[in-house]
Amino acid sequence: MCPHPDRQAVDYANEYLSNALSIGEQMLRSGAEVSRVEDSIRRICTAYGAERVDVFTITSSIVVTISGKAFGTVTQTRRISGLQFDLRRLERLNELSRLIAQHLPPMEKVEEALERIRTTPGHSFPTQLGIWALISASFTLFFGGSWLDAVASALIGVLLKYADRGLKWLELNGFLAALLCSGFGGLLSFLAVQWGFGDSVEKINIGNIMLLIPGIMLTNSLRDLFNGDTISGLLRFLEAVLLSMTIAAGFVAASVIGGVSV
Amino acid sequence: MTILTQLVTAFAGSLGFALLFNIRRDRLFPAAMGGLLAWGVYLLVGPLVAWDVPRFFIASLALTLYAEIMARVKKSPATVFLVSASIPLIPGGSLYTTMQYAVSAQWEAFTTQGMNTLLLAGAIAGGMLCMMAVLHVCHRLYLLLRQA
Repeated sequence: MCPHPDRQAVDYANEYLSNALSIGEQMLRSGAEVSRVEDSIRRICTAYGAERVDVFTITSSIVVTISGKAFGTVTQTRRISGLQFDLRRLERLNELSRLIAQHLPPMEKVEEALERIRTTPGHSFPTQLGIWALISASFTLFFGGSWLDAVASALIGVLLKYADRGLKWLELNGFLAALLCSGFGGLLSFLAVQWGFGDSVEKINIGNIMLLIPGIMLTNSLRDLFNGDTISGLLRFLEAVLLSMTIAAGFVAASVIGGVSV
Repeated sequence: MTILTQLVTAFAGSLGFALLFNIRRDRLFPAAMGGLLAWGVYLLVGPLVAWDVPRFFIASLALTLYAEIMARVKKSPATVFLVSASIPLIPGGSLYTTMQYAVSAQWEAFTTQGMNTLLLAGAIAGGMLCMMAVLHVCHRLYLLLRQA
């Protein structure tokens, strides 16, 4: 390591490291595995001239230290929050990181591309309502519900999406929001069956639960664990277990309370 | 009839999640087919294996192979197909039953059902990892053979 690193080289290193971290951050938030994120960051930094890249990623933080003769040692960390599965964004970020490693575009180009990916809008709200209805109805039928159950489940799915949006707007604690949302769902399915609009509270609930329950998080966390990313795996595993317990408890409790009071 | 309903809804459910996760339009159909395939394999091995855990494991092996092949064909990360195709296997129903026991304070049934849920999730994850390892070895062997 040289004793007096070149100021310009240090600035440059900081700049590409920051962009690599932004890409990693977006990937992690879109649902990428830890190993993929680490791999992408390592590849980008190496391509821009870092001689040694040490990346440590867990689900809530990324720490990268790069070193090279020209700039000495540079470290940056990034706090990650919020998980929003978006596989199209993940694919685009993957392509971008590959393109960077191959062609070394100037920083402004990278920032532009990142901004474009970050600001691409997802589905419109009405489309999301349709998707929630489709998923609820499908799984109610899948687990053996009747057609009437499926219709009730689809309608409740739509109402749950509205509830979900309202709770997001309130910026409640995640677990409390999940409890309220599922409690609302359980109450609706109970009322639906009471009024003859549906045959089985349980079958309607299961369709709606598939929407909210972090099943993918659970499976992915086990994959991380077996992969050797123990901390990330455990963090997500615990989060998934707590969240699913909250959700299931919300649904069941609403139906039980309803059942007792009527 | 139930089998047909299950297959169709497995497809529709996977399609729903593929849409929810914002998968590119030209990947939607293969992603949803993965869900149908996963459940199809689960049903097919039913007469051979009675216990759900190995059945989920075998279905997970098949769906991972499918996802990896589709990832090569469509040139996208395997996660894209893996996540949406594994949806019908996700033990949401089992998890729900587990919590039903907890709320009604049937602790023994809760423990048994909870273990079952965990084993199912583990079987899915294990199947994915095993198939990925096998494919990784195949890929290495292929590279070795091409060099020789």
